Amino acid sequence: MISFLEVLERATTGPMMSAKEYDMKLFIPAVRKVVKKYKIEFDPDNPCPCDDDLADRVYQAALELYSEVGTYCTDTERVIRFTKEEIEEAVYECPKVVYFGEGPDRVEWHGRMPDDNQLPHCHVGSGTNTSEDVALKMVEAYARITRAKTLSIPSLTTVGNLSGSSGSPMEVLAGINMMRIARDGLRRAGRPGMAIIDLHPSCTSGVATIAASNPDFGARKSDGWIVAPQAELKITYDSLNQVAYFSSWGANIGQEAGPILGGYAGGPEGATVLTLAYAFHGILVIRATYHLTYPIQMMPVCSTTPGMIFLISTSSQAFARNIGAPYYALGYASAGPATKQYFYEAAAYLLAIQASGIGIEDVHPNKAVGTNQALPIDSEFTCAFGHGNIGITRKEANSIIKKLMEKYLSGIKHPPKGRDLYECYDLETMKPDDELCGLYDEVIKELNGYGINFK
Amino acid sequence: MNEKELFEKLSQAVFEGDGETLVSLVQRNIDEVDPLAMVEKGMMEGMTKVGNQFSEGQVYLPELLMAAEAWEEAMKILKPKLIESGASMKKRGTVVIGTVQTDIHEIGKNILANLLTIAGFDVHDIGCDAPAAKFLSKAQEVQADIIAASAIMSTTVPYQKDIVDLLDHKGLRDEYIFMVGGGVVTQEWADKIGADGYGELASDAVEIAKQLVSEKKGA
Repeated sequence: MISFLEVLERATTGPMMSAKEYDMKLFIPAVRKVVKKYKIEFDPDNPCPCDDDLADRVYQAALELYSEVGTYCTDTERVIRFTKEEIEEAVYECPKVVYFGEGPDRVEWHGRMPDDNQLPHCHVGSGTNTSEDVALKMVEAYARITRAKTLSIPSLTTVGNLSGSSGSPMEVLAGINMMRIARDGLRRAGRPGMAIIDLHPSCTSGVATIAASNPDFGARKSDGWIVAPQAELKITYDSLNQVAYFSSWGANIGQEAGPILGGYAGGPEGATVLTLAYAFHGILVIRATYHLTYPIQMMPVCSTTPGMIFLISTSSQAFARNIGAPYYALGYASAGPATKQYFYEAAAYLLAIQASGIGIEDVHPNKAVGTNQALPIDSEFTCAFGHGNIGITRKEANSIIKKLMEKYLSGIKHPPKGRDLYECYDLETMKPDDELCGLYDEVIKELNGYGINFK
Repeated sequence: MNEKELFEKLSQAVFEGDGETLVSLVQRNIDEVDPLAMVEKGMMEGMTKVGNQFSEGQVYLPELLMAAEAWEEAMKILKPKLIESGASMKKRGTVVIGTVQTDIHEIGKNILANLLTIAGFDVHDIGCDAPAAKFLSKAQEVQADIIAASAIMSTTVPYQKDIVDLLDHKGLRDEYIFMVGGGVVTQEWADKIGADGYGELASDAVEIAKQLVSEKKGA
C-alpha cells in the first residue's frame, strides 16, 4: 500500500481546483457515469437485496469512482488521486482484523460475509450529547452489558456552566474530562480494559482530540480513534494532522464517514456507490483499520427509509464480499427514545446490516439530535438482537423489513418525541421505569411474531 | 419560435441544468425579447419547478446545483441588459447566510441559499467558518433583512449564540431577522438563544423566511 507520506505529497502536488469545481465538474458527473455504467438500480420492493452480483457491481462502480475523483484536500485545494491498481493493492493489504482493548477485555474484530452464521461484532453506546451529571453512569450502564464488545462514550458539550465550543479551550477540557469519566465508568463496571472506539465525540478539532489522548487521562492506543472526512470525499489538514499523530503513536484509527442520500451523490444508487468509495478513502487517506459508516438521508433526516435501507444493505454487502475488514454502521431513527416506533426502525436497520455481513451498533433515537436521547435499553436491544439472529439471511431480513416498514414509514414525517433519559430512567439505579419496561416487553413480543429473536 | 415557446424552452433548460442550451437561447433572443420577461416568465418557472421537486424529494442536490449554475451563466448575459433597460427583478428580501465559526460543513447551507434564491431572495453567501463579526459586517454592507447561520455540530452550535450576543452588544438586534439551522439545531435551541426563525428542513426555512420578511416589511 502506498505510504501516508506519499498521500501527503499528493495533497500538495495533485491537480488543483476549487471545491466547487471538484463537486460540479468532477464528482457529480463521475457518480452519474458509474451508476449508469454498472446498472445500479434501487428497487423499493427489495430494500435489503439478496443479490451478490449487484453488490459486486457496486464495488466495481465505487472503485472506478474513487480512481477518478480521489479525495479533495480543502487546505491545499488539490485532489489526492490514486490509480485503480493502487486502490486494489490497498484493499488486498489492509488489515482484515483489528484488536481493541486490554487484558481480559481485549477483543478481536474481523470481517464477516452476507448471510454469515458468525456473531456480528456488537458495539454499543452513543456519542451523542449527554449531561455531565449522568455521563459516568451512562458509561457504566453500557459497559455492564457483558455481550457488548466495544463502546461509544457520550459527548460532553459543557464544562461546568461553560459550553465546549469547537476550537475553544473548553473543548479541550471537555474532551479530557470525558476521557477521565469514561475510564472511571469502565472500572466501575468491572471492565477496565474495554475499548472505547468512538474517540473523541466531545472534540471536533484535532488539537482537542490529541490533547485527550494523553494516557494520564485514561486514553490508550488500543482504544479506537476516529477521523472524519467532510462530505463528500473531502479532507482537511486538521483531520490529516490527527492521522499523522495517531498513526505515529501506533493507535487504532477508524474512519467515520457520513455520506448523504440526496446530497452531491444524488439518490439511493449514487449514495450507495459513494458509501463504498469512502472505504477506499478510509484505507488510503485516513489509514483506517476499522470503518464506521453513518449514511443519512437529507429529507427526511433519518436512516430507515427504503432508500436508506437499500443503501446500507447493498454497500455493506459490497464491502463484506470485496474488502472484508472490520466495518459497522450507525443508523438514525426518526422516532424519539422509549417509543415503539424507535424499536421498529431500529429492528429494520439492524436486520439490514446484520444480514448484509457487517458489525452492529445501537440505532440512535430522534435522529441523534438533542441531549440525553440515547438510553442504555437501546444497547440491550442491539446485543439481544445480534445474539438472537445469528445466521439470518438477506432474504429473511428483506421480508421482515418490509413488514416493519408498514408499521413505521407513515410515522417518519412526524415521529413521536418519546421520553429522554431523565424522563424514563431511575438515575440512581440506572434502570428503566415500569412504563418503558412494559413497552419493551410488548415490542419484543411483537417482533418475535415477525420472526426476530432476542437472546 | 414565439415567445411562449421560448419561455418554455428557457424553463426546461434551467430545470435540466443545461447551461449550454440556456445560454444559447438567451444569446439568440436577447435583442428581440424583453430580458425581464425571459427571466420571470421563462427561467424562473424552471427554477421554481426544480426547487419544488427538490423539496418533495423527487430530485436531489445535483439537479438543484446544476439548475443554479445554468441560471448564473445566463444571468451574466442578462444582467447588463436588465440594468440598461432599467428593469429590476422583484426581490423578496436580502439574506446573509453562512456556516458559523470553526464549522466547515456547507451542504445544508448551500441548499438553503439556493432555495432562498429560487424564492426570490437576494442571497449573499459568506461561506463556512465565519465568525460573528463577518455575518454582521456583510449584513451591514448589503443592508440585509435576514442573517441566517448554520451549524452542524454540537460543539459549533454555541457560535450561533455569539451572533445574537454581538447584535445585542452593538444595539442592532432589532435591525435583522436572525435565523438558525443545521443538523443538531432544534426549535428549543432557537428559542433559547432568541433566534427569530428555525427550520428543520431547508424548505421549512424558506417558508419561515418569507413569513418573517413579510411581517418585517409590513411592520
